[in-house]
Amino acid sequence: MEPTTTSYLVLAALLFGIGATGLMIRRNPLVMFMCIELMLNAVNLTFVALATRFSDIDGQTAVFFVMVVAAAEVVVGLGIIISIMRRRPGATVDDLAELKG
Amino acid sequence: MPEQFIAPSIDWFALSPYLVMVAGALGLLVVGALTPRWPRGLYSLVSALTATSAGVLAVFIWNDVAEMGPGTLVGGALSHDAFAQFVTIAVCAATALVALVTDAEVRGTVLEGPEIHALLLTAATGAMVMGASNDLIVLFLGLETLSLALYVLAASERTAAGQEAGMKYFILGGLASAVFLYGIALLYGGARSTNLGEIVARFQSTVALERNDSLVLAGLALLIVGLGFKVAAAPFHVWSPDVYQGAPTHVTAFMASVGKAAAFAAMLRVLVIALPFHRDDWRPVIWVLAIASLVIGSTLAVVQTDVKRMLAFSSVSHAGFLLVGVEAAGHRAGEQISGDGLESVLVYLALYSVLVVGTFSIVAVVSRHAGGSTDISVFAGLGRRRPVLALALTILLLAQAGVPLTSGFVAKWGVIQSAVAERSYAIAIIAMVSAVIAAFLYLRIMVSAWLADPSEVEPEPVPAMTGVAIALAAAVTLVVGVYPELLLGWTDAVSNFAR
Amino acid sequence: MHGAVDFPLLSMLVLVPAIGSLLVALSPRRRPEYAKLIATVTSVGVGAMSVWMLRAFDSHSGGFQFVSRHPWIESWGISWHLGVDGISLFLVVLTGVLFPLAIVGIDPHNDDPRRDKPYFAWLLLLEAGVMGSFVSLDLFLFFVCFEIVLVPMYFLIGGWGYEGRVGAATKFFLYTMLGSAFMLVSILATVFIASANGLGRITFDLVELAEGASFAASTGRWLFFGFAIAFAVKVPVFPLHTWLPDAHTQAPTAGSVVLAGVMLKLGTYGFLRFGLYLFPEAARWSRPLWLTLAVIGIIYGAIAATMQGDLKRLVAYSSVAHLGFIVLGTFAFTSQAITGSVMQMVNHGVSTGALFLMVGMIYERRHTRQIADLRGLQHVAPVFAAAFTVVMLSSIGVPGLNGFVGEYLILIGSFLTARWWVVVAATGVILAALYLLWAYQRVFHGEPDEENRSFPELRWKEGLVLLPFIGIIVFTGIYPKPMLERIEPAVHDLIEHVSDRTGYVEPQPAAISIDDEHGEGE
Repeated sequence: MEPTTTSYLVLAALLFGIGATGLMIRRNPLVMFMCIELMLNAVNLTFVALATRFSDIDGQTAVFFVMVVAAAEVVVGLGIIISIMRRRPGATVDDLAELKG
Repeated sequence: MPEQFIAPSIDWFALSPYLVMVAGALGLLVVGALTPRWPRGLYSLVSALTATSAGVLAVFIWNDVAEMGPGTLVGGALSHDAFAQFVTIAVCAATALVALVTDAEVRGTVLEGPEIHALLLTAATGAMVMGASNDLIVLFLGLETLSLALYVLAASERTAAGQEAGMKYFILGGLASAVFLYGIALLYGGARSTNLGEIVARFQSTVALERNDSLVLAGLALLIVGLGFKVAAAPFHVWSPDVYQGAPTHVTAFMASVGKAAAFAAMLRVLVIALPFHRDDWRPVIWVLAIASLVIGSTLAVVQTDVKRMLAFSSVSHAGFLLVGVEAAGHRAGEQISGDGLESVLVYLALYSVLVVGTFSIVAVVSRHAGGSTDISVFAGLGRRRPVLALALTILLLAQAGVPLTSGFVAKWGVIQSAVAERSYAIAIIAMVSAVIAAFLYLRIMVSAWLADPSEVEPEPVPAMTGVAIALAAAVTLVVGVYPELLLGWTDAVSNFAR
Repeated sequence: MHGAVDFPLLSMLVLVPAIGSLLVALSPRRRPEYAKLIATVTSVGVGAMSVWMLRAFDSHSGGFQFVSRHPWIESWGISWHLGVDGISLFLVVLTGVLFPLAIVGIDPHNDDPRRDKPYFAWLLLLEAGVMGSFVSLDLFLFFVCFEIVLVPMYFLIGGWGYEGRVGAATKFFLYTMLGSAFMLVSILATVFIASANGLGRITFDLVELAEGASFAASTGRWLFFGFAIAFAVKVPVFPLHTWLPDAHTQAPTAGSVVLAGVMLKLGTYGFLRFGLYLFPEAARWSRPLWLTLAVIGIIYGAIAATMQGDLKRLVAYSSVAHLGFIVLGTFAFTSQAITGSVMQMVNHGVSTGALFLMVGMIYERRHTRQIADLRGLQHVAPVFAAAFTVVMLSSIGVPGLNGFVGEYLILIGSFLTARWWVVVAATGVILAALYLLWAYQRVFHGEPDEENRSFPELRWKEGLVLLPFIGIIVFTGIYPKPMLERIEPAVHDLIEHVSDRTGYVEPQPAAISIDDEHGEGE
């Protein structure tokens, strides 16, 4: 069976869903961060699939922008996560409960 | 056949506010790194001046727009209209105020230096791009520029609370960005373009049956969720109290002013300007979000004991007010006579930005003196210790409550007016009643400042630049409150010149 | 407009206290005596201007006089539009006269003299707001003034009041603000609906709206209720009155005097100026509701006052009853009753203001307001007791004093259109005599015990402050004609406006005219 645009879109939606679910249920900041990356890449897949279908260059260029943004996010995110981990090794987000009201 | 690449023509003057901001940020970083430590306050002054000059340039560009009519820049990536200039001016004003306040907040810590100001300017540039974007991808880039800088700023203080705030902000902000981006992708699937002008044209020219409406609607839903997170509208507000409380106060001020203004500008761009043909789909959602934000924001604010948390919830309720304006704009989005909704939201944003920076600046002064605590008890007796500061706080809080003769009243009046003009009576009444509930919260802070017995007798030092920022904010609040025509005569043009 | 008055009198009445307030706020902190000086000069000046206006007022005209109109917020169709007619005239004068008395005559009792400065600044701002509410003919301007008075009053109660002041101030602020919330939406809706139905443009001008716009019956009723909630809270009408006893009791004496004297009138005045004038049909339609609530207020206020052990609370509840009469007269829709209402607004301001003043004096001497703690004051302070008697009799409504004229006009005017309500309300008059005389008896009669024996007599300064009150009480009681003939034309025009709009025909009493019925008073 030849994969159609729709199958790509469905796959992307599944990946996005997996990422979102992971973000909700996992408590390790690093894993949660990976889930966000997964979601971004699912979006990339969507863009590529749609751009191919429309034979449109715009969607493909969008992917490059998203990749750059994702890379920048890694830099910032890892920085924040590492500085927290250094302070409190093995911390999960549940341990971060200084702020509540 | 390979197409010839034609570089878009670039109107450099129209881009000058962005260039000035980026140049300021880079200049601070590079020059700051190469030179020994600058005299105290200079970093702040330079970044405040940068922001001010970008704002002034935007005023000139506004004149150009008013003469020649709106257009686009850089091959349709950015719009060249009064809307964009208005957002730029509001963002620049708030940034300049925050830059002034930042100086005293980082003095003597490891953060003293050019970096934090470079981050502020970068974030502000992102916010300006969001307000001007004419393409969803550009909008996303602006959003990420703003957000990434804000994540770092939020986590900049090396305290447990600060780091936790940065972490929470990063994870939930990343989620929101991803959702927003997925929305863009699906909308692209429905409209075959990410350019706002082309999206409008496409929906205008095709009959509903020919469109891929399921993709558009799914995209629309995701966009609203993503934007809802960014503007901190209930029920997507859960991050905001923790982040507002944990982040350093000057960063909170920036988030509540520039962050909110940019997110609302983006919302207006996406919903009102790009998707007027789906207004009947998104308007009810906005209606629900508005009411949820108003009710949840004001009722939960009342039960808090930490001033920054209170203000975080109050900011949720302000988001509700702004959504009332967005809802009003939704009634006649895309029509020739489009009502005052859009304009009222922009006026609200500009006035609220100034207000909230002023308020948080005072919180910064008081909490610094109290060893970083922002519990409401540290405000006790402020009226005895620092009557002028307490008076400024009172003016700003009364404005947040929407009492007449302050800018907050003008802002609320405008939004309610546009809602009533569209006969959205229910939402207008709910908004006003929740404003009364929220007023209780501002009264509590005022009671503490004026009527409670002082817990502390030593008056808190007010750093000169912070004092200037507070005085400016209070002055704007009063002047616009007494003579709103100053601002309104000017903003009438906004909706006319928005594309 | 009367004569060729180029002097912007009404704008001055509003702006001078506002500027005075600013000057007080800017006066040096180390010289608190300047604050009082500026406040005195400003408020006396405003008082003089208002009395001058009373002289210059053309008593034959029912229209607005001293009109001043300037563009303010043009983008929203809002103008600075001021004017007075017979309905607002005496309220403006009352405001002008009451404030200097409160500022000069009542000591703020600050532990720290530096706190005088904010006290006077708030009082002057309050005066500006109240003046603005009474003279504004623009809905936006009215709302601004109506709402802004909350802020100074909040701080006066909260900052200079008694034990439970913070709670009382907060309650006062939130209650009133809640009422205004509905009014704001209603104002905007009125303007937009009017512009769509006949007016053709967005304007907040009261006269243009009232004369030019017409509303469908159900629309008008909704709009009217938006306004009415705000006014009913302010008056306060029966179920919404719970903020009043607290605010009155906890407020400092000057606050109570101003609150009872003029601020409550914002509500009753609002009903006349904005309720009846803008929405005659809805006001007519909802008449039974207001009459019933008014009568409940009269009886309830009287009974509650009887049961109070605290003198100040007693006076506060008596206000609820008195204002019930005013609302009754307003919604009776006869010239006599409405004239009586307007007059009673002023009378209540004077007599209740004076009562609060004297209760304040008692508290200052004895540090208690409990009736049970006071006894036999007549023996030790006969002049004080005499003054109290006059004020109290005026409040009861004894013929020959001002309270009688207003109450009598209300009752007789309402009898034609609201017979059964009047019958019940009349018992309220008897109850008023009951609770006030009983309280008087307990406080002033009998043998003074140890603590009350040293009760000081009325001082000269206090006497001078009370003198204008008693003067007005006696003068209007004996010779109400000048006042009535200024109120009459405006009320007549209002009734005519209602008749034009609703086809209502005012019942004419067989042989009663204004001049005859006051024969007994003269």
